[in-house]
Amino acid sequence: MVSRFGFRRTDPHTLAGPYALDALGDADRARFERHLGGCPSCAQEARGLREATSQLADTLVSQPPDGMRERVMATAARTRQNPPAILPARAGWRGRAAGRGPRWGIAVACGVLALALVFGGFAWRTEQQLNQMRARSRAIATVLNAPDASMMTVTANTRGTATIVMSHRAGALVFTAARLPALPSSQRYELWLMDHTGAHAAGMLPEPRAGMTAPVIVSGLRSGDKFAVSAEPGAGSSHPTSRMILKVALPS
Amino acid sequence: MTDSQPWPPGGTQGAGGPGAGEPGPRGEAGGRDRGDLGALLGQVARGDEAAFGVVYGQVAGHVFGVARSVLRDPAQAEEVAQEVLLEVWRDAARFDAGRGTPMAWVMTLAHRRSVDRVRSEQASADREQRAARADVPYDVVAETVAARLDAERVRRCLGSLTELQQESITLAYYRGCTYREVAGLLSVPVGTVKTRMRDGLIRLRDCLGVE
Repeated sequence: MVSRFGFRRTDPHTLAGPYALDALGDADRARFERHLGGCPSCAQEARGLREATSQLADTLVSQPPDGMRERVMATAARTRQNPPAILPARAGWRGRAAGRGPRWGIAVACGVLALALVFGGFAWRTEQQLNQMRARSRAIATVLNAPDASMMTVTANTRGTATIVMSHRAGALVFTAARLPALPSSQRYELWLMDHTGAHAAGMLPEPRAGMTAPVIVSGLRSGDKFAVSAEPGAGSSHPTSRMILKVALPS
Repeated sequence: MTDSQPWPPGGTQGAGGPGAGEPGPRGEAGGRDRGDLGALLGQVARGDEAAFGVVYGQVAGHVFGVARSVLRDPAQAEEVAQEVLLEVWRDAARFDAGRGTPMAWVMTLAHRRSVDRVRSEQASADREQRAARADVPYDVVAETVAARLDAERVRRCLGSLTELQQESITLAYYRGCTYREVAGLLSVPVGTVKTRMRDGLIRLRDCLGVE
């Protein structure tokens, strides 16, 4: 690894410490960041070291000057916010199943979920519905932003794939699916959380738009639960009445 | 760079163990990640000013503390702290949970901006002037028990490093020195400083229980 990315004489890995401490000059910093782009294990280490250095700030906590809060809040109120950065598409992400580094997966998951939100087409009008939608988006964001969030992609037994982002800390998972077989109008997909006492109804999957379902949040998650999906009549069943099209043990 | 202060500034051992004080009267200068900062940033990203006020309460003491440590000059520290907090407001939508915790994101912004400022200033003519006004002692005040416990934990872990690891890390983080400057200050080869920084941070990371 010594000769990669322009570090011919110096082992780039020794720069991980100075990098995490912002103790590199501009040129070294740029070179090291290029190196990180091609070395996932280095990026992983850099993140851990950065978490450690950031905690050094805990020893520096200091009361800001009087009036700073008001100045910051007032300036923020008239400062335009930047949109999210465009995430680069990753070829082949769908083929990746659980076991891939979850942290890297989240950015992809957000892209997928954002897409599902668009395709899900919320043609809602009333204030109440808008509020419900906002509350749901917040709940979804909480799972996606959870420090312990992990992502997996699962293939259904029938057809199609599902993406699950789960957080034990949030006690919830976010589920979205693509290209599941269309059901007769009398049926819909129902979600289940399963433990040793059996299957517990966990909500209905919305109608897909353009083959994708809008993300749904499933809360009340407990360690050791399995997650499953089946086709059920009408408004849903209290117990599954057909074979699961998808069943996955959630990492505990 | 002369300095007779202990590092971290104001940080004496035993400055606040369990039960060492009452919760401060204000929510500011609070503990690490006590609230759900990630979820709050999600709200801030959607323009929620109230949520930003809560975020401010959770991070402003840390941000100002970092700027003050690196820059020394309170007026400049406030300037940089304000820039950083506005950056949090502006770029909340760009926070990427895949790259680290929300607190690490904010602290990285704070430390980088502070270091960038100190270095651009060092490159300019008033470097001497800065040296003259620097090193005014100041109090680091952790106002809540939670914040004191956090600080105590970090100091304990820092104390478990070798002397050279500790000096290299604190000179870089608390003072904003480059690794070459650290090597010069400590009269050790640059290669040694680089490896001590990394080894020390690995040990610190493991001691702090960072994933």
